[in-house]
Amino acid sequence: MRTNVWFISSFLISIIVIIPIITIFSSFFQDTSNYYEILKETFFLEYVFNSLFLLFGVLFLTFFLGVGSAYIVSFYEFPGSNFFKWALILSFAVPPYIYAYSLFAFFENYGTAFTILKFLFGDGNYNQHIPKFSGMLGLILSISFSLFAYVYILARSSFLYQSQNLIELGKNLGFSKLKCFYSIILPAARPAIVAGLSLVAMETLAEFGAVDFFSVNTLTTGIYNAWIAFDDLAFANRISFFLLLFIFILFLTENLSRRKARYHLEAKGGFKKKQKTKLYGYKAYYAFSFCFILFFISFLFPLSQMLYWTIKFPENLYDLNIINLLLNTLYLVFLSSLVLIFFALISNYGNRVSNKKILNVLSTLSISGYAIPGVILAIAFITFVAWFDENIIKTLGFLSIKKIFIGSVLGLVIVYCIRFYSLAFNGIKSGYEKMNISVDESAYLLGYSKTKTFLNIHIPYLRNSLLFVIILVSLEIVRELPITLILRPFNFETFATTAYISASEDLLEAAAVPSLCLIIIASFFILLTSKYILRERSE
Amino acid sequence: MNNFFEIKNTTFKVSGSEKVKNVSFSIKNEGDIVCLLGPSGIGKTTILRSIAGLEKISQGEIILKEKTLSSEKTHVEPEDRKIALSFQENSLFPHYTIEKNIKLSSRNSNRDQININELIKILNLENILNKFPHQISAGEAQRASLARSLNSNPDLLLLDEPLSNVDQSFKEEIQVKLKQILKKLKITTIIVTHDSYEAFYLGDKCGVILDKELKQFDDPYNVYHFPNSEKVVMFLNRGVLIPAKVTSPKSLENEDLGVITGNFVNPVEIGTNVKLLLQPEDLQHDDKSNLKFDVIDIKFRGTSFIYTLKTNTNNLLPVFVHSHHVHQHQINDKFGIRKPIHIEHIVCF
Repeated sequence: MRTNVWFISSFLISIIVIIPIITIFSSFFQDTSNYYEILKETFFLEYVFNSLFLLFGVLFLTFFLGVGSAYIVSFYEFPGSNFFKWALILSFAVPPYIYAYSLFAFFENYGTAFTILKFLFGDGNYNQHIPKFSGMLGLILSISFSLFAYVYILARSSFLYQSQNLIELGKNLGFSKLKCFYSIILPAARPAIVAGLSLVAMETLAEFGAVDFFSVNTLTTGIYNAWIAFDDLAFANRISFFLLLFIFILFLTENLSRRKARYHLEAKGGFKKKQKTKLYGYKAYYAFSFCFILFFISFLFPLSQMLYWTIKFPENLYDLNIINLLLNTLYLVFLSSLVLIFFALISNYGNRVSNKKILNVLSTLSISGYAIPGVILAIAFITFVAWFDENIIKTLGFLSIKKIFIGSVLGLVIVYCIRFYSLAFNGIKSGYEKMNISVDESAYLLGYSKTKTFLNIHIPYLRNSLLFVIILVSLEIVRELPITLILRPFNFETFATTAYISASEDLLEAAAVPSLCLIIIASFFILLTSKYILRERSE
Repeated sequence: MNNFFEIKNTTFKVSGSEKVKNVSFSIKNEGDIVCLLGPSGIGKTTILRSIAGLEKISQGEIILKEKTLSSEKTHVEPEDRKIALSFQENSLFPHYTIEKNIKLSSRNSNRDQININELIKILNLENILNKFPHQISAGEAQRASLARSLNSNPDLLLLDEPLSNVDQSFKEEIQVKLKQILKKLKITTIIVTHDSYEAFYLGDKCGVILDKELKQFDDPYNVYHFPNSEKVVMFLNRGVLIPAKVTSPKSLENEDLGVITGNFVNPVEIGTNVKLLLQPEDLQHDDKSNLKFDVIDIKFRGTSFIYTLKTNTNNLLPVFVHSHHVHQHQINDKFGIRKPIHIEHIVCF
């Protein structure tokens, strides 16, 4: 296969992924309903204020939890430090909406906290003393404890890759540990931390389940109402566009503030593996406590709550066809991973060999699907299929194709692919970035064709990245809610949709079993990925 | 008979920016070795990459075995050229062991093939065969890369600073063995280096690239003794240019040194003021001579000393003295120069 063929393949894949994204942006050229006027005169400011409050609340908390825990496990050795290294990423297994169910149920009147107090101390009026984590506070906590691992993973990885030389240099200059942290360690990890926070920001503004559960009026509510109540997709798209623009400006400002500073040096023999400081006594106790409390609150707490309900209400377990839900989930995971890996591989290689600017631009656009809320993406897909069906297919005299794409596994897989394309693309890209272009050139000079180089050199080299991407995508699909909810075929449920439907019918106890299953499967995927996520340079 | 390899009036560019222009040279016989010399960043690597087909050319022609590989209209893909390029940096496949890397080459050739085990032994790679590229040193990676290129039996082998990371102690040994292999297998080779001694030893021909041009392309002896421009002299850094006046077809005169006799490489009109190239071996030490200058610097080179003398007109003269010379001179000593001065090849500009 010559370069042109790879270019064309890569180009087509990017176009396919971009179409729904373009549909969203095209909303600017469409008329909107009077919902905008109504909203402007009523709740718009409240929505904006709530969204900003939520965003900054979550960013602050995830920064504190993520960077703090990453620093402790990267620089210190204390009892359990090796365990917490990977245990802290298990919080990923609990999506914000499931965390929200647990938080609410534990602290509600006569909830789990009440039951525990009653069990320990007998009857009493405990409800007035138990704090209530609902509304905005509950939402910030749910999202933060579920997402802080983004910051943790990236900050930890950056801390690990900081050369011991830099830290020793700080010590030589007479810096205290605190000054070392603020002046050397934290600035050097800045790009990684910002990358983690930007992921958190996008996920927060795209969050649907938890926002819906706590009934907090954010711009997400505006998006949802615009679609559900006013059938005004164009306006829904506009709101989400402005949300994304806001995040973009926020992080662009941060990026510009760095100017031309570099945050790492090429490791040509200059890298020195970090020596962890061993903690003793009360210092070890504090480090252990911080990590354990974080692990407990972010993972053990929701897991226990769901487990408690499952045991307390076993009938919910029997009512549920777990095998069916599992097969449905795995079916989606398998199909989507396969398509995503194929697309991302071809696209990455096409980009690499053809090295055309147009492909770079298209790739950048195509991975923006991750930043678009699932609700919007699903609706945009429906809009596009409807438009295509109405204007192209029917004009040509063919039968309607709506049923093939809407309310079908195929449609679901396509939208998953658009949403998670950036994960697959970037996962493979990061594998490629470690491979010097001279490797390809060496292969060509040894007589390997482009295809042979791709199959015999690249695929074996990327196998770890591919495995990592498959597991990461699987994890996201298992947790995914709004797209599945909107696009799934009739009577086709996953653990996520079953949990959501039960919770939205105020049957939180019934949501426990699917939630527990979801956490277990997601934990399994996380444990599989932890080897790659937590990989250290020496390994 | 046609040349085995030829570059005709070719301009080499990277990302649209001109690196070296109007280059022309040829390799007459299969098995010849050409070394391209030049300072870092001058475009030597670009030339190799273009010959290998990794960069396209917009002007000129590159021909191998009478087949045009690159021109304005033609571009044969790298995998179809039968040209091997050994990169300066580590370009081994990171996920394969060194042994697999070396044995990966997929070409067949009619030429006598080198025994792979012999090659591994010559390049001292036996102990790293089972290691991965990230587990070996830069010098070892360079040798492994060289082995892989040699094992691919190319029509033309391109080596980009092949020994730049190899330890000095091991370098000369490898140079000797490399030359033996290349000559034994008759592998036509273009070597890029900034080390003039390496180029003079390995090359049948040497090219000097300076100021975006191929300034000189000649036998190593000629490049050294008959540099064709001041720039080449400066680059080789093996002499000084002092003012002199041509006094006859076989002599010239310098204010400090007096009359200098010898054979002009290029005829110069009598009475012309020129810059005379004076190399360290052109002047000979003589303690009894009346012509004496102050020593201002001494470079010990193992087999020799190079004394730098300051003349009355503030010219600096290098003088080569065998290190077993009966006595050493110190800074500020008076240092005698044998008269009359005779230079075998007089080069002046």
